[in-house]
Amino acid sequence: MPNNRFPKLHILSSSPHTLTFELSETDVSVANTLRRMLIADVPTLAIDLVSVHENTTCLLDEYLSHRLGMIPLRYYDDTANRYGDPSKEFREPRDCTCEDGCPKCWVTFTLGVQFSDKTDNPNTKTVSITSADLKSSNSNVSPASFLSEEEEENAQEEGISLVKLARGQHLYLEARARLGCSKEHAKWCPVAVATYRFIPEVTLNTPALSKLTLKQREELVECCPDQILKIDDVTGQILLAEDYEDKATFTEDLHYLQESMKGSPEDDNFITVKQSESRFVFTVESTGCMHPVEITRSAMRRMEEKLIMLKGECAGINEGV
Amino acid sequence: MNAPERTAAFTLDEDNDERKITYLPSPQIPNAGTFTFNKEDHTMGNLIRHQLLRNPNVHFVGYMHPHPLIHRIDMKIQTRDGTTNPGDVLLEAIDDLTTECGQLQEKFDDAMSKFEEEEHGNTGRNM
Repeated sequence: MPNNRFPKLHILSSSPHTLTFELSETDVSVANTLRRMLIADVPTLAIDLVSVHENTTCLLDEYLSHRLGMIPLRYYDDTANRYGDPSKEFREPRDCTCEDGCPKCWVTFTLGVQFSDKTDNPNTKTVSITSADLKSSNSNVSPASFLSEEEEENAQEEGISLVKLARGQHLYLEARARLGCSKEHAKWCPVAVATYRFIPEVTLNTPALSKLTLKQREELVECCPDQILKIDDVTGQILLAEDYEDKATFTEDLHYLQESMKGSPEDDNFITVKQSESRFVFTVESTGCMHPVEITRSAMRRMEEKLIMLKGECAGINEGV
Repeated sequence: MNAPERTAAFTLDEDNDERKITYLPSPQIPNAGTFTFNKEDHTMGNLIRHQLLRNPNVHFVGYMHPHPLIHRIDMKIQTRDGTTNPGDVLLEAIDDLTTECGQLQEKFDDAMSKFEEEEHGNTGRNM
């Protein structure tokens, strides 16, 4: 018989780089799997092969190539009108039908800068090569140099700094980017932060609490560093603070203080703070390569694809048996 | 030089005819067997195990990731009696999870459109 759950989702806040939402009426294993998929299984673009033609800079070829690989690359999704899922247009090279690489599986970047290109001033000692100097072969793919226009205005460089050049130095290379996932290398990771926390479930044992003095109640309220409780001015009863759901970090202070206040160790606790088993608040922060809503959609889609694939394999096994 | 390819952690080894799932019935315990998920990890292992625990026909389910460098999951499933066998409960569990996943995506899209509507509504009112 089917045992599936009916999850509920509620968006708390959404900005171009951070998304918070509440997932409820589902199990912690689903939340954890979603978190793992967000970190490890979302396909993104990153530079993977670098062909150095000339490098007279102070950094070694491989050092530069590593820095180039770590640059987050954005793919502009015309249908969604924002930076989205590159797997809509690109395929992984091993899945591609071409033999030796084609625009569907590789995006080529060229970087050719010499000192004299950047400045005419004879007093300048060094100039910076940044991610803004990378020229892409696909107009929809570009390096994510800044998170916002505000950051761009306040920045000292024109993009992510790659290497500094001195007079007479020259860098000319070609780089190819492909689709990959974070399991292969962290450069393909789309998120800076993908985490979830539990909503607290607080139960107040009112009959036991009413036996405490006002001073004891104030002590209980003060001992919690998150300040999730408060004393009602009129009745002197302990109440929950307004935003206790956001502030709770499940510290043990309340528990230890109650142990000392109880008449005997077997008595019930006055206040129990427990992690909810079915309500989770997710925070997804993107590195700039994709909109966090697109990252979450991509992770959920990949989760479904994986489960469908496993279902097919399992059905095959059952028939064999 | 001796390091294995990073892709070996999640792509099946087709040269050696590696299948995604293999099954070994248990010789001693009735209605039990071990499923091996090749090139999988806790992401799917924990998810499937928790779903199987919700099925009343399942007497025992546990999974193991033998070593971080060995990329497979071994899952032991034992059903209560002979009416359902481990393969059937596993298929049911994965099926339920697929439905739930589809629901998640739908709910997410609904929640996003509701959120965007509210945002536009608010900015409209503020103007």
